[in-house]
Amino acid sequence: MTVGEHNQYLRLQLGSISYLLPGTSGYNIEQRDNLVINKSPEGNVAAWRTVRTARYPAYCLDATLRVTRHHHWYRAVFLEALPHAVGMVVDEVQLLPSAETTITPFIPLGLPPTHLGHLFSGAWVTGNQVMLVFEPKAFVSYLQSLGNV
Amino acid sequence: MKKPRSRPRLHLLEISLEGASLLVPSATVAEVINPQNMSQIPFSQPWLKGVIGWRTLAVPVISYEVLLGGMAPANPSAGKIVVLYPLSGRKEWEFFGLLTNTEPRPQSADGSQPIADNSELPDSPYVAGGIKVDGRVMIVPDLEALHRVFYP
Repeated sequence: MTVGEHNQYLRLQLGSISYLLPGTSGYNIEQRDNLVINKSPEGNVAAWRTVRTARYPAYCLDATLRVTRHHHWYRAVFLEALPHAVGMVVDEVQLLPSAETTITPFIPLGLPPTHLGHLFSGAWVTGNQVMLVFEPKAFVSYLQSLGNV
Repeated sequence: MKKPRSRPRLHLLEISLEGASLLVPSATVAEVINPQNMSQIPFSQPWLKGVIGWRTLAVPVISYEVLLGGMAPANPSAGKIVVLYPLSGRKEWEFFGLLTNTEPRPQSADGSQPIADNSELPDSPYVAGGIKVDGRVMIVPDLEALHRVFYP
């Protein structure tokens, strides 16, 4: 089932760092057991989610969003997107109601890393801690650029 | 006898970098803070060292040394972060921070200070010029060039 609401954020933990994904993006959380694991040590894809005849890739990312490969993971979050959904393995995932988060605008300085712009469009500041908020279209564009093998 | 007319004085802050000093108007500085937990920004430019929480805002922090083609401070936790007001034409929340080695020092200039020769300044688009204060060269940053590299 695809979920996602305007007034929610999904906290995605990658290693020691957490990022927020706005609830406006539709997503599915899939357990590892429901995915086809990439047994080849080559390639960027950690696993695929198969839906009828289609299969959608999921990637293991480290805390800096670079592709890594490891086997100690249990779930992946798939983002609904065109032309196809795309996923990422997460160490932890948590739904945060918007009442619990105050998002401030934030756009990194300098050239954006994707043709759709910067990967972040906001931040949740608590004291001197900052949790960056993904710009969904740019983040999906980054994930889709990682290929299907 | 006619009293000599005094020149207007500009209040400045000297921001110490690795091997150079920047000079900025004091009015452009919002606050000088101790280094704090800085979050990395994936796939950012090398001069963008991270983002900090300041008041209720997320403030990007840059290394001017790296913009000038040098190396970032080896131990930024020993220095300070100078939080600057948004550049002209930007939104009110677009503060940015600058890593510095030490507490910035107040300076003032009244136009009588000698202009630094180009040969004394780093060859960089982010340097508008320089003046000499007590014999030391201080770099005046090119804010328009900063604007272009920050918001391409």
